[in-house]
Amino acid sequence: MSQTRTTGALIVKTAVLAIGAALLFAPFLFQDVRALEVAARICIFIVLVASYDLLIGYTGIVSFAHTMFFGIGAYGTAIALKQMGNGWDAVALGTLAGMALSLVLAVAIGLLSLRVKAIFFAMITLAAASVVLVLASQLNQITGGEDGITYRAPSLFSPATQLWQGADGKVATLFGVKMNGKLAGYYFVFLTSLALFVFMLRMTGSPLGTVLKAIRENEARAEAIGYRVVAYRTFVFCIAALVASLAGSSYAIWLKYTGPDTALSFAIMIDILLMVVIGGMGTMWGAVIGAVLMVLAQYYLRDLMELAAGATADLPVLPHLLEPDRWLFWLGIIFILLVYFFPAGIAGTIMRWGAPRAGR
Amino acid sequence: MIPPSLVTEDLTIRFGGHVAVDAVSCAFRPGELTVIVGPNGAGKTTYFNLISGQLAASSGRVLKDGVDLTRLSPSARAHHGIGRAFQLTNLFPQLSVLENIRLAVQARAGLGWRVFRPVARFTELTARAERYLEATRLTAVAHQPAAALPHGDQRKLEVALLMAMEPDIYMFDEPTAGMSIDHAPDVLDLIAEIKHDQSKTVLLVEHKMDVVRALADRIIVLHNGALLADGAPDEVMASRIVRDVYLGTSEDAA
Repeated sequence: MSQTRTTGALIVKTAVLAIGAALLFAPFLFQDVRALEVAARICIFIVLVASYDLLIGYTGIVSFAHTMFFGIGAYGTAIALKQMGNGWDAVALGTLAGMALSLVLAVAIGLLSLRVKAIFFAMITLAAASVVLVLASQLNQITGGEDGITYRAPSLFSPATQLWQGADGKVATLFGVKMNGKLAGYYFVFLTSLALFVFMLRMTGSPLGTVLKAIRENEARAEAIGYRVVAYRTFVFCIAALVASLAGSSYAIWLKYTGPDTALSFAIMIDILLMVVIGGMGTMWGAVIGAVLMVLAQYYLRDLMELAAGATADLPVLPHLLEPDRWLFWLGIIFILLVYFFPAGIAGTIMRWGAPRAGR
Repeated sequence: MIPPSLVTEDLTIRFGGHVAVDAVSCAFRPGELTVIVGPNGAGKTTYFNLISGQLAASSGRVLKDGVDLTRLSPSARAHHGIGRAFQLTNLFPQLSVLENIRLAVQARAGLGWRVFRPVARFTELTARAERYLEATRLTAVAHQPAAALPHGDQRKLEVALLMAMEPDIYMFDEPTAGMSIDHAPDVLDLIAEIKHDQSKTVLLVEHKMDVVRALADRIIVLHNGALLADGAPDEVMASRIVRDVYLGTSEDAA
């Protein structure tokens, strides 16, 4: 992009670095169980949203099947852990099986339908995702249906596992944080997410990344100067599917539970869409910012409103408006305002600050 | 005589009952600049689309150095050395001027599938892109988005994109359309330069008679999709039939 050297870009990159640092030290900075859940969810969603941005933001492909790939990865690992016990062989087999199924589906959908108009492609992905969702809830024996499945993660990640033993025979602590399996689990999620994110970042900065942007900008001309558009689209669709599948697998290991609501529902698809739009399409940084804000809002807006309602308890009307049960209403208002004031998403809009004015 | 680099054999496309290009057979040779003229709707741009692959022929063939390209996609034809600039500006609007050209250079170098090395480290690509920027005098605006350029510069970028593809066959579709008087000569000089390289074949759709006279080695005339005349500029311009359908009958137009 022509806006990589603006002051705005510097602000965004600094913010993303700060977020990265916060996530790296999250177990030490935020020492409660819920905060660690939130941090892990943020890591996973950054990857999920970034991989979706490869499609919608970089290449201009609208797909509604992204949660499907996430779910396939999650269920693959979950089913293997349930059936084979909590060994690493189960993790490896389940994850690879999930990736293989995702790849097969992505290739099939891609080759069959990336030639057609964008709207038809979106519909086909929607249909595929619906079928998988129905299958997951119907195949009770394997998937646990609506209830999902609970299982044990590899024992390294069990809370009882002691990474280091203190002199007293109990688990050692560092800055008040127990060196147990929970910590190992978080860093597993963090490092997996980091690796996947860096992979995607490299990809978008490579010659291939520029071709993707060219396809988004002007498909016909990209073809005319010698790029096989269908091949590139299918390729990026497969990559995004594989990354989503891996993100699903690591989330399954972290949660030790996989069900339609955590891995496959359309609510997740809508979350991803909102995160991508709010963060800013076509920049990997946008995915980070969107995922962080959205997950934080989902977890903490209620608490914040409870505080606000308490603080304004003596005033008329306000406490009723700030009633914590109305958090979805406020979340909606925040989204509308964000889209209004940051039309290109938060990262996208800020990165334009200080750029030479671009005609549209 | 040099063998032709590009041949169309009975090239035809029908849209429903309408025959837009009607059995056009023509051979083009390296070192030769052919101007294609004809009234609006004569099928000039459609003929180009059939050669570069944006449209699929209903019948007939397109051959490049004897290789049949008729069933290939535009990208495959580009790799066979067919290069095409468009009549309506057709760029990557939100990408910078440099990125636009680098994309074409990169396609030529076959590097689109490189997934990991950052673009910036392909210094050779950037250097080559910068040479085309210089040639088209766009260096000053290299980092602006293509959409922000004035129309004349966008037309130049359109030409630069074609040059950066380094094709064997250059197809220009009204390259100076809508250009101001001071910009047009830049583009025409570039085309003249390409023509001097005797290994390149140039096809040019153009209306402006002074441009045609200055550049053409040969003129072909399309009318209602069919090839009406083909010959040296003086000959064609003097022919009665051409003046009737295209140039009108007035003396000063010719």
